Amino acid sequence: MSTRLESASPATASPATARALRQLRRHGGLVALLVLVLVNIAITPNFLQLQTLFVNISQVATIAIVAIGMTLVIATGGIDLSVGAVMALAGALAPLIFLSPFGVAYPALGLVAAFTLPLLAAMACGLFNGFMVSVLRVQPIIATLILFISGRGIAQVLTNGNLQTFSNPSFSYLGTGRILGLPFQGWLALALAGLVYWLVTRTLFGRYLLAIGGNERAARLSGVPVRRVKFGAYVICAGLAGIAGLIVVAINSASDAGRNGNLMELDAIAAAVVGGALLQGGRAPIFGAVLGAVIIQLVKYTLLANGVEDEVALIAKAFIIVVAVYLQAGRRE
Amino acid sequence: MTTPLLQMTGIDKAFAGVAALTSASLTIEPGEIHAVIGQNGAGKSTLIKILTGVYRRDAGLIMFAGKPSTISSPREAQDSGISTIYQELTLVPLRSVTENVTLGYEPRIWGGIIDWPRAHARTREILARFGIEIDVRAPLGSYSTAIQQLVAIARAVSLDARLVIMDEPTSSLDDREVEVLFGVVRGLKASGVSVLYVSHFLDELFRICDSVTVMRDGRTVARKAIAETTKLELIADMLGRDIDEIRADGMTELGGGQRDRSGEVLLEAKAAATDRRLHRLDLIVHRGEIVGLAGLLGSGRTEAARAVFGLDRLQKGSVSFKGQAPSDPASAIAAGIGYLTEDRKAEGIVPEMSVRENVTLAVLPKLSRGGRIERGRERALVEAFIKSLGIKTANMDQPIRELSGGNQQKALLARWLATEPELLILDEPTRGVDVGAKLEIQAIIRDYVARGFGVLLISSEFEELVEGADRITVMQDGYSVTELQNPGITENALVKAIAHHHRGQAPA
Amino acid sequence: MNRRFLMATAALAGLGVAAIAVPLAAQDLPPLAQKDRYKVGFAQMESNNPWRIAETKSFHDTAEECGWDLIATDAAGSAAKQVADVDSMIAQGIDVLFLPPREEKPLIPAVMKAKAAGIPTFLVDRSVDPNVAQAGRDYVAFLGSDFVDQGRRVAEWTLENFDGEKGIIVELEGTTGSSPANDRKKGFDDVMAQHDNMEIVASQSGDFARDLGRQVMETLLQAHPDVNIVYAHNDEMAIGAIQALELAGRKPGEDILVVSIDGTRDALQAIIDGKMGVTVESSPFFGPLACETMKRYAAGETIEPWVQVSDRIFTKENAADHIDEAY
Repeated sequence: MSTRLESASPATASPATARALRQLRRHGGLVALLVLVLVNIAITPNFLQLQTLFVNISQVATIAIVAIGMTLVIATGGIDLSVGAVMALAGALAPLIFLSPFGVAYPALGLVAAFTLPLLAAMACGLFNGFMVSVLRVQPIIATLILFISGRGIAQVLTNGNLQTFSNPSFSYLGTGRILGLPFQGWLALALAGLVYWLVTRTLFGRYLLAIGGNERAARLSGVPVRRVKFGAYVICAGLAGIAGLIVVAINSASDAGRNGNLMELDAIAAAVVGGALLQGGRAPIFGAVLGAVIIQLVKYTLLANGVEDEVALIAKAFIIVVAVYLQAGRRE
Repeated sequence: MTTPLLQMTGIDKAFAGVAALTSASLTIEPGEIHAVIGQNGAGKSTLIKILTGVYRRDAGLIMFAGKPSTISSPREAQDSGISTIYQELTLVPLRSVTENVTLGYEPRIWGGIIDWPRAHARTREILARFGIEIDVRAPLGSYSTAIQQLVAIARAVSLDARLVIMDEPTSSLDDREVEVLFGVVRGLKASGVSVLYVSHFLDELFRICDSVTVMRDGRTVARKAIAETTKLELIADMLGRDIDEIRADGMTELGGGQRDRSGEVLLEAKAAATDRRLHRLDLIVHRGEIVGLAGLLGSGRTEAARAVFGLDRLQKGSVSFKGQAPSDPASAIAAGIGYLTEDRKAEGIVPEMSVRENVTLAVLPKLSRGGRIERGRERALVEAFIKSLGIKTANMDQPIRELSGGNQQKALLARWLATEPELLILDEPTRGVDVGAKLEIQAIIRDYVARGFGVLLISSEFEELVEGADRITVMQDGYSVTELQNPGITENALVKAIAHHHRGQAPA
Repeated sequence: MNRRFLMATAALAGLGVAAIAVPLAAQDLPPLAQKDRYKVGFAQMESNNPWRIAETKSFHDTAEECGWDLIATDAAGSAAKQVADVDSMIAQGIDVLFLPPREEKPLIPAVMKAKAAGIPTFLVDRSVDPNVAQAGRDYVAFLGSDFVDQGRRVAEWTLENFDGEKGIIVELEGTTGSSPANDRKKGFDDVMAQHDNMEIVASQSGDFARDLGRQVMETLLQAHPDVNIVYAHNDEMAIGAIQALELAGRKPGEDILVVSIDGTRDALQAIIDGKMGVTVESSPFFGPLACETMKRYAAGETIEPWVQVSDRIFTKENAADHIDEAY
């Protein structure tokens, strides 16, 4: 009385199909991007204009920057839900600084402070997250939930819940400046992606980060300073979120602590996952995260430009994530 | 001759092409206390999981209570009368004793609502049968492990089990609690319930069991009545030794007992104890020698290695390496100790990383400058090791999980050799490795030692220890109990040493 | 066990009381006694734009003169939190409730609960679903602007002042499901539907927010580069739209007409600068009107279901005169 052999892999199709599927999985992101671009060229009016590219870059840059940081944290096997709140906090601090008496009296110094102090505050939030996760051993999703809930509240307390509007062209350059006709924040996002990519692939820190996510026990046994590296990941993630928060404020010439970065954590996680990050850790596809952000942005744009309500766009985003994760699952074996 | 309660014959099971069971069998009579013994990987747990429906067998026949078994899930096993009490208690500590005992089978009224008064009463009644009187409404977790284990058994019994499977039931019990357990088991036997008793404490088997099945390498190699065998015979069966024969030629390359052992003391552990089941470790390793750690499963060898490497904190005694006491892996590595762990999948390889990245993981600080890893130096180092250790890989950037077990092991060995340690702790270095790679790894170890370094070798392969170690420390239940010196150790002697000082006899 | 039993009993008791209380409550509007000082609850929905901030300030400013002990809360944009805020005010024993409901349907339970607790409610600046809750029965009155009329007036001004042949209109809507958004759309769209040379090519939600309005505008601009009229349901979105247009190199006011509603300071400035065409006022200064209406009700008067606020209209002609009093 025998029963069939259990096996993990599904019944194999013909070799050609299997190979095609494998290629699709490996380059799934690029394929999706190509499909989206082609669809848009076909149905969306004026898609092939430079201005369209400008608009899309301008809208995607902040998500991409936060997604890069999120990828690092996910690579350690963790997650950071506080990025949106950190954006709001950093964004709220900047106008407070350069509109303060000090900032008005010394505009140049005030501007520098308006860039650095919010970033320092953001990184302090990262330190807090890192401390909860590494030292107190709280699960990352719970540890970062603390700032997710309270960070925005702190920002709103600082601004009395008010919208702060201002006019400061030097600061607003961060969001409205152009280099070679394309938005400054787009170039910034690319530069940051390049920097973090270098960090992950060429430095001690990056190698340790991937080892911790890949097999934390093995890493610890090999003398990897697990605690310090995890701290680093959360601090970098929060710092990048701070930059994104400043960009949003710059581009609008207004700081809305209640709305800045709202739901950004979900967009960043989605972008990271679509880009190939594994939620259990061990992989940090930096440019993949940028690609993921671009794909999600393009879908949003396609729907909006073609008159579909934005509630439908949310469903579409969810669909993309499901497909992306399904393709990733195949890659694991 | 009564019909057996359980008859498993010709059971085959393979996972991803690797055979875990080959024509294994198991027979248990009604009202019999039957033990199953075997070393790591012998197939005991796989066989039991097939019986309880967790796995599906590839071939073979299972007859339970005279009928062919169609059990395909643990719940069905439970309903058919087979209860399992796992080593890691599968109870819910936050819920009350009653909830745990009646979980899934609560008495109900009005077609759905649980009748708690009746449940409490029934639980109290069942526990009373075992001589236990506790507040059944208190959370289970508030009681000692012993009580929890007895509650687990009570649950099994209350569900009208005909066969109770106990997996290492006494591993966390003290002597008094063991007696209580034995009383319970005997009570079960008296009421006609059979017990399948899995344990590696051989002394216990001789006190409580009627018969025993020995498994080795996925096969059933013997079924004997306890009264008709001895401990030595059972160990011989478990390990595949013919106790009348003494092996003449060695099967290893370690060349033990032939080295100059006049080197200085590298490592000294004195009465070391940790809170992780290491009760007393006395150990010395000199330069230029291989010291073996021998013992059965659960004897504390890995715990000893962890204490030496600084992974577990010492509660008593001392560990001194070149005069220092390592407090964590990083400082141990810096001082010059390397530790190749037993479980390469869980603690060794980083599966997503390449061979190169895995090999250099422990030695990265030396390959970097200003935080940047110097690619050229890294590649040169890995290249050298691939050549000297003969690691078979397409190229150094191949993901390590694609390599065979033997080559993964060599890569891990390279990781530790790259740190240029003076003491290498090797925990089962040739486990799961094909014969060719095994000999190569042993040759590497021999060369390493010849250069004046020390090795602490943990192995379950007796020939490896006997042929390779200069001295062997035998461990039992967290104690280092005796030391054997080469030349002159035979496998026979080692087996005897392990069998002799068994549980129940206070170690020196 | 004991604790669980107690909690269960308490919960059951609470439910029981509520169940009994509701039918026993007056089917009519709860009255308001005449007193020297009133405990007044004001459950604001959010404060992330100047309009809301001005509205809240108006209530605070009126509090002293009207003899109010004012309890003001802010729901930070969450309808659910706003309902919870009303609950806690009821528990604190307010005499009268002023409520600007964030969305038409989710806030109905709050209105009903206040009624059941014997507290007269005045809806301020936004209303609830008229099919479920009615003025004079479930709440005293709705104080507010006629949103449909606002939309209509914008449409009419646009028709008079647009000097092209064909109007390509992009509409930026307010929060989906809110009465101002629904009504301002209706008012505007109905008028435009009667004119063949006016076409609304796109209508998307900007959630009454500047940042989102900007993003939606820049996307729609790409899809419809020939747009020459932008109608935003509020000034914040209009400002965002102007930012988007300027960033894209267009000249709002010259080749694109931007029209909107609210009458904020930033909008008046934009009109003075020539970037915006018109903004119909939607006054946020409800404090005095609330005080007056409440006093009338306490004196026994029957209040009309809709206490209308009359809105002005700001264009290039009068913007400079009124900018100082703008919020």
